[in-house]
Amino acid sequence: MRLFAQLSALGSSAMLLLALIPLWRHTVRAYARAFTWQSLTLAGLTALTAYFSGDAELYAVAALLLGLKVVVIPRLLARMDRRFGSEIQPYLNATTSVLTAGVLVLFAYIVAEPLLLASRLPTRGGIPLALGLIFVSLLIIVSRKRALTQVIGFLMLENGIALLAVLAAYGVPLVVEIGVFMDALMGFLVMQIFVYQIHETFESLDVEQLSRLKD
Amino acid sequence: MTATAWLAAVQTLLAVGLAPGLAGVVRRLKARLQGRIGPPIGQPYRELRKLLQKEPLVAHHASWLFRATPFIVFATTVAVAALVPLLAVGLPIYAVGDLIVVVYLLLAGTFFLALAGLDPGSPFGGMGASREMTIAALAEPVIGVAIFALALTADSTNLGRIAARMLAHPATAVSPGHLLAFAALFIVTLAETGRLPVDNPSTHLELTMIHEAMLLEYSGRYLALLEWAADIKLFVFFALLANLFVPWGLAVTLTPLALAVALGALALKLGVLALALALLETRVAKLRLFRVPELLSVSFVLALLAVTASLLGR
Repeated sequence: MRLFAQLSALGSSAMLLLALIPLWRHTVRAYARAFTWQSLTLAGLTALTAYFSGDAELYAVAALLLGLKVVVIPRLLARMDRRFGSEIQPYLNATTSVLTAGVLVLFAYIVAEPLLLASRLPTRGGIPLALGLIFVSLLIIVSRKRALTQVIGFLMLENGIALLAVLAAYGVPLVVEIGVFMDALMGFLVMQIFVYQIHETFESLDVEQLSRLKD
Repeated sequence: MTATAWLAAVQTLLAVGLAPGLAGVVRRLKARLQGRIGPPIGQPYRELRKLLQKEPLVAHHASWLFRATPFIVFATTVAVAALVPLLAVGLPIYAVGDLIVVVYLLLAGTFFLALAGLDPGSPFGGMGASREMTIAALAEPVIGVAIFALALTADSTNLGRIAARMLAHPATAVSPGHLLAFAALFIVTLAETGRLPVDNPSTHLELTMIHEAMLLEYSGRYLALLEWAADIKLFVFFALLANLFVPWGLAVTLTPLALAVALGALALKLGVLALALALLETRVAKLRLFRVPELLSVSFVLALLAVTASLLGR
């Protein structure tokens, strides 16, 4: 159990590290690669939890994750990246966003403190990291201008929520999990269509132009 | 002299003697990865021998500082090499200086090197010195904060004790705090030893050089000492990364067998780190100088998270 606790905390921190990469890299490809590795880590953690908790359903979840988030979505992302070009325009420069992310993770630790006291699960060490991952993904969403990078932020947010579910409750029932996956996939597809539409209309993926519509 | 004192002396000599070899291994690995044959591993030793035999030339305007700096830099680096656990934990010499002393001895060397870069008044030297100080100012808080992450889990800043503590509690080695601190210190190692994303160690011709720019006025045995000190610095940082974060193999008892195992383990760990460095230097291009602070801010945040994880997550 001690090993399980260590490994889950390690996996969670690896996922958080991978969420920090987009904050200072400047290409969509780097974003997509970070997301792929993050999903792979999440799948590994889910399988690990399945092994240690003896919950066979979690293996199915891990397999789903592997298929959807490590293979399918990164491919779609790569295709969109090729079509729209790779430069990104953040609202915040790299240094500010990385430092903000650091503060957000500190905040997550403070918020999660009562949770840590209440929980007796061996995985509880990773809970603040999962919360931190959620906050950092939100930061990615709000601080980037291009629709494509916001989509990746959304996908990382989804990873963070899935991580929190695995760590805090050993995963939600399979039916719910499948529902969430379908939601995420549908959401991603809808966003993909939006991205294409935005690009068709404005010849750019800069979402700032959307708010200037009213002029 | 007691056995432990002998061992400490041998350990230090080992670091000083093997450091150019490590630099040679990195160069060789890098060349092979890039499809070149590369110089033999002993090449740095030959360069040092050649430089030591040559007469040093000193600029007319240079003050005593210029002559003293190579010795100061070399002495501080060797002193640091004496304090880092290479083969055994629990040697009495580790009580002389802890992690904080190690960091500031290295920084003292950097400080004098920057002064010496300014001293002869050549434009390159001044530029290199100002860049080196910028990077040092950004890297220093990272080292400080990352150290606290280690010191918090070990309840001590003593290097030998940190390693011994982790040997006794192997589970702490894979805690999030340690992982993040390792990542932070690895980035700082690249910055402090002038490796690729921050500085290019194998060029004298670019306007972007940092470390080499400060050494530009040096020749002969002065240059040999500074080059040697740079090699030892790389060795020391690698040894710190290897033995503080992955201390397995370090001798707890002073039997010949344990020491032989420690030597083998050290060689293995340094080899792995050298390979990682060569791979990284082959894969990445040098960062623009203005992006270096971004990289170091990433490592600062990693160190900050490491402390948070060690403090709140235990």
